[in-house]
Order: sequence, then structure tokens, then C-alpha cells
Amino acid sequence: MHRIFKPLLIAPMATSVIIAAIFATLVGCASAPEPPTASLAKAASTIDDAERAGARQYAGADLDEAKARFAQAEGALESEKMTEAGQFAEQAGVAADLAMARTEAAKASEINRQLHQDADALDTEMKRKGDQR
Amino acid sequence: MNNFTEHQRFFGGSFAALIASLLLLSACATGPASPEGSLEAREKLTALQNDSELAGHARSEIREAEQAVQLAEKPLPASDGTLASHRVYMADHKVEIARAKATTRLAEAQRATLDEQRGDARLRARTREADKAHADAARARSSEAEMKKRLDDLEAKPTERGMVVTLGDVLFDTGSSDLRDSAGKNLDKLASFLGQYPDHRLLIEGHTDNVGSSDYNQRLSLMRAESVKQYLTGKGIRSQRLSVSGMGMQNPIAANSTAAGRQQNRRVEIVIEPPPYVSSTTTRM
Repeated sequence: MHRIFKPLLIAPMATSVIIAAIFATLVGCASAPEPPTASLAKAASTIDDAERAGARQYAGADLDEAKARFAQAEGALESEKMTEAGQFAEQAGVAADLAMARTEAAKASEINRQLHQDADALDTEMKRKGDQR
Repeated sequence: MNNFTEHQRFFGGSFAALIASLLLLSACATGPASPEGSLEAREKLTALQNDSELAGHARSEIREAEQAVQLAEKPLPASDGTLASHRVYMADHKVEIARAKATTRLAEAQRATLDEQRGDARLRARTREADKAHADAARARSSEAEMKKRLDDLEAKPTERGMVVTLGDVLFDTGSSDLRDSAGKNLDKLASFLGQYPDHRLLIEGHTDNVGSSDYNQRLSLMRAESVKQYLTGKGIRSQRLSVSGMGMQNPIAANSTAAGRQQNRRVEIVIEPPPYVSSTTTRM
């Protein structure tokens, strides 16, 4: 490093600005080389949450999708393709989020259907009782 | 920038760095068209945004999806196909998440209405039940009052065996079991009472004074009780509801030593039995 930038050291301000620009560009374009630990952890915990919420029953396809993406992320991680691993981890996370959201939507609709039936049944029951008199 | 003019001799180095930076930038530069699949994501998002029922229930999720779709729409060079499809995947899922969350919240909002409806149904049910209970109680009260009035009318007296109507000696000719016409009026009331309360039964007991033999009095008391029964069956009361017994001289209610006492003892007692029946229904002799 020192040897490469040695001629620039005499002008620290100018060079630092330029180096920062280069690094910013590099960072903006390339992906972080670290393993996507946070994304993977988030995806794993969302998948768990979704399963606990009943995604197997209400959004099985989305849950499977999330798990498949998670497996792909792990595969990429093993081959040290960190960019890919990060993308798959994010995809697993968003697929698990969707499984969760669809599970909740299905449950909410189910509750409403039940409420509808209850209200109807109660009315019918009362009408019947009233007619008996 | 002043640095560059002040340090002209190092311009060459800086320029090289600038070139390098530009080269790197060009690697990120734009391709010609939006990535494949981003159009579908955009269409789905637009459909959700235009859904007047759902859109309002997931504003922040729709905003997030909008950002994801915009990112997915950014053209990328063919070499960045993986990144392009990743962005499309993310965008598509965020749109679907927004839709699902909006659906959940819409259902929750509707639930309040449903709860209200159910509450209304409950309320209607309770009101109906309360009305019914109220009416039942009123009916019971009125029927109780009504029965009391009718019993008073019959001059029924409360005893430990229940309400008892006593037909005095004057209703029978001396030594006869035939009812005098004047008995009819009182017995008609009894018949009408039994007509109104079809579950009530009567225990008709004949009693005498101690004049004459025990056998004679026994027979006479039974025959007088039977006369009453016959009169009532003649008025349409089923004979099963009427038990008769001749008590003879066994149960005087006054002293037999005086004429007035003996007259009191010559009587027919009619016990009115409300259901459920406690006393025996068999005809005693």
C-alpha cells in the first residue's frame, strides 16, 4: 500500500479525497466480501416465526420457497460466493416474510368467516326460539 | 480543488486516480432496458395501489414495495443478470407482502363491524329472552292471582291438605245423598275451575254426624261424595280426576252434642290438589 501511494503522500488532502472517491465507487459497485451473517440470521428466525404461526398450513408454498432459498444461501456460503449467499439470504428472508404475511391474512379471513357464521347462527337460533313461542 | 492548483506537480498522479475511478464507475454504468420481470412487479404494484379497499391498509409496505420496484426497474448490464433477478425477486415479494398485510388489516377492520353485528345478534337474543322471561313471569303472576281469585270465589280454605271447599249439610236433603239445586251453583264454579286448570284433581270426602249406625253413616258419606262426583262428571270433568271417599263420622269438625255442631259435621269436603299430586289418588272406602 505504502509503496503504491508513495508519490501521493506529499499531497495528503488531494489524495485522500481521491482515494475516498475510489473506495466509495468500489463499495457502491462491488459486494461486501463478508459472509451475510445478519441476512441469514434474519431469514432463519423469520422462517421459524412463520412456521410457529402456522405457515405450513396456510402458506406452505411460500414457506417451502423460503427454505429453498435459505438452503441456496447456505450452499453459496460454503462455496464462499458471498455475494450470491447474501442475495439468497435476502430472498429467503423476504419469502419467509411473505409466508408470514399470507399466514396472517389467511387466519384473519378465517376468523371473519367464523364470526359471520356465529352471528348468522345466533340469529337463526333466536329466530327459531322465537317462533316456538 | 485548490489542492490541485497548489500541487500541480502531483496532478499526474491524481489524474490517474480519477481515470481509475471513472473506469470503475463505468463498470456500474447503465444497460439499455429494465430487467426482465420488473414490469410484472410494477403491474402488480400498480394493481395494489389502485385497489381502493386494500391500498389504504398498507401504506408503508406499499412505499417499501415502490422503492423495491424502482430499484428492480433500474437497467443493469447483461453481466449483472443475477443482481437484476435478485432485485426483481425482492420487488415482487415486497408487493405480495404489502398485499397480504393489507388483506389482514382489512379483515381486522371488517372484524370490528362483524363483532358489532354479532353483538347485535347477541343483544337481540338477550332482549328476546328477557322479553320472554318477563312475559312468562307476568303470565305466572296473573295466573296466580287469577287462581287465588277463583279459589276465594269457591270459598276454598287453606288447610294442611291443600285448598279445601266445604259443601255444607244444607246442600243435601236430610238422610239423602241427592244434591239440592242450590248446590249446583257452587259446584258449577268448581267444574269451571277444573276446566281452567286441567291438571288439578279433586279428592271428594263425605262426612256425617254420629246419628245412626257407623255403617249407615259410612254409606251415606260415600254416596254424598259420589253425588258430587257425578255432578261434576256430568259437567264434563273426567272421572279420573275425581277421587271419592266416605269418611262417615270419623272426622267431626264440631261437637256432635249440639244440633249446630252436628249440622257442621254433615258435610262434603273437596280437597283441590294441584300437580304434582302428593296425596293418594286411589278411591278410599
